[in-house]
Amino acid sequence: MIVFGATSDISQAFIAKVIEKEGNKYPKIYLVTSRRDATERLAKHLEVKYNQASEIIVFDITKDSDYSVFDSVHSDLLFCAIGFLGKNSQEGLYDAVNTEAVIAINYARLIPLINYFVQQFEQQKSGTIIGLSSVAGLRGRQSNFIYGSAKAGFLVYLDGLRNYLYHKGVHVITVIPGFMDTKMTEGLPLPKPLTASPKQAANIIYNAYRFKYNKVYISGIWRYIMMIINLIPETVFKKIKL
Amino acid sequence: MMTKMNKQKIANWGKFPVIETDMIASSDFDQLRKIIAESHTIIARGNGHSYGDNSLNKEKIFSTLKLNKFISFDKQNGIFECESGVLLADVLAVIVPEGFFLPVTPGTKLITVGGAIGSNVHGKNNHSEGCFCDYVLSFSIMVETGDIKTCSPSENSELFWNTVGGMGLTGIILTAKFTLKRIETAYIRQRVLKAKNLEEIFNYFETFKNWTYSVAWIDCLQRGETIGRSILTIGEHATQAELPVKKANQPLHLKNKLKFAVPFDFPSFILNTFTVKAFNFFYYFKQIKREIENITDYDAFFYPLDAINNWNRIYGKNGFIQYQFIIPANFGKEGMSNVLQTIADSRQGSFLAVLKLYKASKEEAHNSFPIDGYSLALDFKINKQLPALIKKLDNIVERYNGRIYLAKDAMSKKSLLDYVKTPETGKFNSVQHERINGETN
Ligand SMILES: Cc1cc2nc3c(=O)[nH]c(=O)nc-3n(C[C@H](O)[C@H](O)[C@H](O)COP(=O)(O)OP(=O)(O)OC[C@H]3O[C@@H](n4cnc5c(N)ncnc54)[C@H](O)[C@@H]3O)c2cc1C
Repeated sequence: MIVFGATSDISQAFIAKVIEKEGNKYPKIYLVTSRRDATERLAKHLEVKYNQASEIIVFDITKDSDYSVFDSVHSDLLFCAIGFLGKNSQEGLYDAVNTEAVIAINYARLIPLINYFVQQFEQQKSGTIIGLSSVAGLRGRQSNFIYGSAKAGFLVYLDGLRNYLYHKGVHVITVIPGFMDTKMTEGLPLPKPLTASPKQAANIIYNAYRFKYNKVYISGIWRYIMMIINLIPETVFKKIKL
Repeated sequence: MMTKMNKQKIANWGKFPVIETDMIASSDFDQLRKIIAESHTIIARGNGHSYGDNSLNKEKIFSTLKLNKFISFDKQNGIFECESGVLLADVLAVIVPEGFFLPVTPGTKLITVGGAIGSNVHGKNNHSEGCFCDYVLSFSIMVETGDIKTCSPSENSELFWNTVGGMGLTGIILTAKFTLKRIETAYIRQRVLKAKNLEEIFNYFETFKNWTYSVAWIDCLQRGETIGRSILTIGEHATQAELPVKKANQPLHLKNKLKFAVPFDFPSFILNTFTVKAFNFFYYFKQIKREIENITDYDAFFYPLDAINNWNRIYGKNGFIQYQFIIPANFGKEGMSNVLQTIADSRQGSFLAVLKLYKASKEEAHNSFPIDGYSLALDFKINKQLPALIKKLDNIVERYNGRIYLAKDAMSKKSLLDYVKTPETGKFNSVQHERINGETN
């Protein structure tokens, strides 16, 4: 198993879920991260709690582009939880550095990285690639549409990738979280009934993986919320403050 | 789609008091440093399985639940190290199959290691093996300045002992290292004995002092002859030879059990004196024999309540308090019968009342609840008459030089609580601490 954004709460919960369900099926879990310290804590944890070996690969998506660090990284499961919320529109719209970072991390620099592995999956003709997008990518809203547009690009990428890899025996899962109680949203007030814990998210994603679903919302209620939001005519939507 | 900054409602296990506050969790120490610096006052909260207001703060609560990593497990020497938000349940899941057990455990495994230190918890082996922190080798704690200090009985020992049972008032514990106990099996050999009154149960505690684990369930609604009617349970870790063949094959592995859940807050009329009386009656008489001896697994022995999710809902939405006091052994019988009489007179039934013999903690552990004596813990539903009853009970406990357990307390008087003395930083503060200090008596 290869995990991008290994220290994210959702990655940690997903790793735990996979091990709890399937035991030490993967001789080694590859933890791809930009933060060695925090990831070392995770690697130790996996070893002590689950007797699970792992390898840390430090790769900072904002600046690294030498993929040779992945030369020995092979698996049939790729979990991608890389994401960066950045500042909201009010604070960040005219902040070019922030805007570039949001686009780079959520889309521009992420796609080539995943593509590097797509090649591998295509050759091995099996496996699963799981990518985390966001409900923000389903309709642009005034408060965070830069992030939303990058996630929208990622959504479409995953659609296309699924279609492309279907013919090669590789399955692609698009995960669409709504509000999540994770590091990314730390400090943001979220309405409780709509907010999923990393553990709940991991359960949903694991099921999608087991049963080869194409797209899953976290949690399910977001499918309906977004259905309604997408039904609002643009002439009305543009006037709403969301 | 983000809403305006709105505070969330938080309460601990007894659902009383409920406060509005900002609660934040993080696994990142740098982030935590920032949170501490930016807060006026703050308190650590583990799994919120204290009953009252000790891990609550109206400005900011730092939830340790994301400090959930294991660090090391030395299987040769039985030493375990993890971050402070790890649940005892998670520790057990890993250590039991390797032939180890927690040196001390409270009546629920759904608490964190940080909470075990903050309250310096005790269990059924308090009289024989002391409190949790007797087995803590060291911990690291982030203090007001954001520095991380390593503490042990020999290094930063003052901070160590102020933190042990210090109810979170010294800082935020990040990691802890403690020793484990070796076991041959995941089972307990238990004996269950009926005692017809207070006299008999006190004699039992004396007689069975040498057993590692002991606790009694007591029926608080009896008066006169049968006051103190109770059931004593004592136990030892079973050896492999003591197990029936079927269990002896895999002595350290338990089957997963079904869990039950209380799906919603019970309406308040469900629990009244009548139902509690009936429950207590059946509990006492379901055991027909005066004495049983058998083998049970550790979950059933230590954590019977954990098998029912959210059992605290049976007390309804207004919540309840658990009143746990201890009085010195020489006043034991007299004090207990006084308290039991007062409770029976009040007709405020308590479902669960637990009586236990305690041993004083060592002197350095000055914030710890146990003294040489007897402790009783019972639940009361919150209602209008309760504060008056608590006042009455507090006065009795005070008369016998007793004290109240801060991990349960939500409304007792200062003089019973201020054995916990920890230098004030001003930064780490709780609703409980403010309540106790604000009181002028
Ligand atoms: C069913 C049940 C049975 C129980 N039985 C027993 C028993 O037999 N014996 C017993 O002793 N207790 C018992 N308790 C009480 C419980 O064990 C204690 O209240 C324990 O402290 C709860 O731990 P927690 O992780 O939930 O922490 P919390 O309740 O959230 O916090 C407890 C205290 O520790 C502090 N704290 C928590 N984490 C940290 C940290 N990382 N750094 C610094 N301070 C911290 C908090 O500020 C607070 O003051 C029982 C509780 C329940 C619900």
